[in-house]
Amino acid sequence: MTPLRGALDRWLGRGKASITTPPLDGAFRPNDLLDAAPVVLETPAPDSLAATALGLIVSSRNSLLRVDKPTPAPLASFDAEISALVGLPDGGAVVGLADGRLLFLGGRRDGTTIAADRRIGCITALAPAADGALLLANGSADQPPADWKRDLMLKNVSGSVWRLDPESGARTQLAGALAYPNGLLEERDTILVSESWRAALTRISLGGRSAPALEDLPAYPGRLSRGASGAIWLALFAPRSQLVEFVLSEDGYRRRMIETIDPEFWVAPCLRSSRSPFEPTQQGGVKQLGVLKPWSPSRSYGLVARLDAALRPVVSFHSRANGRRHGLTSCLMCDGRLYFAAKGDGVVAAHAYEEPTP
Amino acid sequence: MTASQQDATPLLEMIGVGKDYRGVSALRDINFDLRRGEVHAIVGENGAGKSTLVKILAGAVTPSRGEIRIAGQRVLIAGPAGARRHGIAMVYQETSLVPTMTVAQNLYLGDEKFFNRLRGTYIDAQQFLQSLNFPVEPTATVASLGTAKRQMVEIARAVRLEAKIIIFDEPTATLTPEEKHHLFALIDRLRKAGVTIVFISHALEEALEISERITILRDGAHVITDEAGAFSRETVIRHMVGRSLTDELYGRAAEARKSRPAGEKVLSVQNLSMQNVVRNTSFSIFAGQVTGVFGLVGSGRTETARIIAGVAKRDFFHGGDIRFENRSLRYRTPREAVGEGVVYVTEDRKGDGYFETMSVAENIYIGRISARDSRGLTASLAQARGLAGFWTKKLNIRTLSTDSRVVELSGGNQQKVVIAKALVQRPRLIIFDEPTRGVDVGAIAEIHHLISALADEGLAVMVISSYLPEILNLSDRILVARQGRIVEELSPGEATSESVMFAAVY
Repeated sequence: MTPLRGALDRWLGRGKASITTPPLDGAFRPNDLLDAAPVVLETPAPDSLAATALGLIVSSRNSLLRVDKPTPAPLASFDAEISALVGLPDGGAVVGLADGRLLFLGGRRDGTTIAADRRIGCITALAPAADGALLLANGSADQPPADWKRDLMLKNVSGSVWRLDPESGARTQLAGALAYPNGLLEERDTILVSESWRAALTRISLGGRSAPALEDLPAYPGRLSRGASGAIWLALFAPRSQLVEFVLSEDGYRRRMIETIDPEFWVAPCLRSSRSPFEPTQQGGVKQLGVLKPWSPSRSYGLVARLDAALRPVVSFHSRANGRRHGLTSCLMCDGRLYFAAKGDGVVAAHAYEEPTP
Repeated sequence: MTASQQDATPLLEMIGVGKDYRGVSALRDINFDLRRGEVHAIVGENGAGKSTLVKILAGAVTPSRGEIRIAGQRVLIAGPAGARRHGIAMVYQETSLVPTMTVAQNLYLGDEKFFNRLRGTYIDAQQFLQSLNFPVEPTATVASLGTAKRQMVEIARAVRLEAKIIIFDEPTATLTPEEKHHLFALIDRLRKAGVTIVFISHALEEALEISERITILRDGAHVITDEAGAFSRETVIRHMVGRSLTDELYGRAAEARKSRPAGEKVLSVQNLSMQNVVRNTSFSIFAGQVTGVFGLVGSGRTETARIIAGVAKRDFFHGGDIRFENRSLRYRTPREAVGEGVVYVTEDRKGDGYFETMSVAENIYIGRISARDSRGLTASLAQARGLAGFWTKKLNIRTLSTDSRVVELSGGNQQKVVIAKALVQRPRLIIFDEPTRGVDVGAIAEIHHLISALADEGLAVMVISSYLPEILNLSDRILVARQGRIVEELSPGEATSESVMFAAVY
């Protein structure tokens, strides 16, 4: 595209500069299935789910909790917030902390800690590789995990995917210049990465080449997991909206908003909206007789999708604008139930779901 | 003649009426009568002779044989003016209004006084249109009106002439359900006032709903005339085509259907806008599925399809985005869209679908040479005939030869030519806009089979239709448009006439 064409498109709001969002239709047709799912655990900010020999666990701030058999005391607690968690094939788990450290829990390497690397300060997702290595998603080169909203508003494309040898602790960068990698899954000889700010899934080869796998998602994709049938499950943690897309196209406005306004009240997606009367414009939220209409535009939403072998969305579960399961950061199929962590609403819930056999 | 004898005598009788064109019989010895104050439906496939029959009544066609009696007296209907003198008025399917004149001027055309006061004419017209419940502005020029409103003016003009017999040729083809409701109420009022209504329609439900008697024609011959209560949809269709098509036309709607799974997302329309007609609409179309789009007239369905196909332009500033196979596109002409594999089959086949003075072969070949893989520098008549031969056979286009002019074919076969013209372009996305409007039931079944087969082959198919049974029968997904945007998506299992109509209206 010539610079002239680019400038013209920006002025006219066309092509790549068009301020649009994909519709929630087809496999993404809205429903209320997430809200119908029974709550399994209520805890502040549940984030990442993992199936381990200890059972199904979830990270909640700086603790790990059992989901399948909730106990009053946490399974483990750490001195920093947990930003990523994954179960390993040997039954153990790896915890990624917000300061960049990695800790092994259970399994062969129980108690091992791998020190932080200054290049990797925003661990958003972890995945075991078939050869025993560990794959890491570093969401941003300069923002911590808690500041994901700032990373989006700064339009950063500084994320990276790394391969870590657990024996030596050596880290190798597989791909860079990613728009907030937030979910990882090894697929045959490639790695599937959810790039949140591109609203897309990207396939990265071992040689580091990246190719789009699923584009133009209606919400920001988060963590990926695989069900027993081999199907891929994707948690989408916040909806895209025309207003946010517009703000992202207005550099001056965005800069002043970042400088002068509390991040909670930015015109930006969030894990739970409609809790403060100071929220910006409520995005035209439609209320009638005090009831929030489910189709009203919202800064937060709950969405999980199942993808088929060709990475096409086939089924989705929703919590709409008026729902109570927003900000889904992680989901996992386990024993015929789809568990999901709604970080925005502080619940882990499970929906009975029979996966079709491939 | 006494009063009781007058009541028993049919208002109009046709005895042994026939019409030949160059030795070919279009109408064969028809015996037909109309009673005072009845609604009489005439149904039949395209080419059955319905139009010829009513054109004889309206004085547009002179019969080759037979006689016509009005109130027992033998008459000769000499031209439309003669028909009007006998109290017969006709509302044509293709409107006969003067586009550059206003609605009021059209209403009073041929009935002007020596000195006309325009204001008085407008006031009269306004009151008259209001009495009919037609929301048409009398000062608007006819050219600025949509098809449905033109039809209303046409109907209003016939009613104003205070005819004893009013013939409606497909009056509801372009009307919304609400407008149809108004029309049926008007027909009922006219019937109660003693006016006889002759009603031609392809929509069998309408014929069964509003008429008292039904006459069925097939291949130019009279098949049966009976009270409407004696017919069911099934029996009407059987008489019309000589076989049962009910399962083919409505079978899928009746049972729990298994819809085709969605393939790749082929088209993503995002926040598309065009003035007040298309308003920030968004939807997707998937390969291997038929996506039905239902909506009332004015819901922006056709305009959206025309923007996608490069026929119309979206808003210049921030008009939204259309992504075809993940690429953002903006077609300046339909040729560019065809080049990419996006093909639109128009709702106005006569105006935009074919060149009526050209042959079937030439029309299909024109489609071919605008396709993306056509080199198109030279035209080959042999290739055109070969192509036409293949497609006339494949789509079962009934024509004497591929050199016949399209205008000589029946509506259903004309539509098949338009479809053939689209299919030779090898589309990846095909948009059918009212694919069976003005098409007889036999051809409807064939067109439905064809559309389903295209989806089975993996094409992304979008069908825009105002005819609910068609949408319910064909679609794997149903989108409902209202006021310029898609407002509802239904699966075939959820969709009923009520649920779709509710979404379209409220």
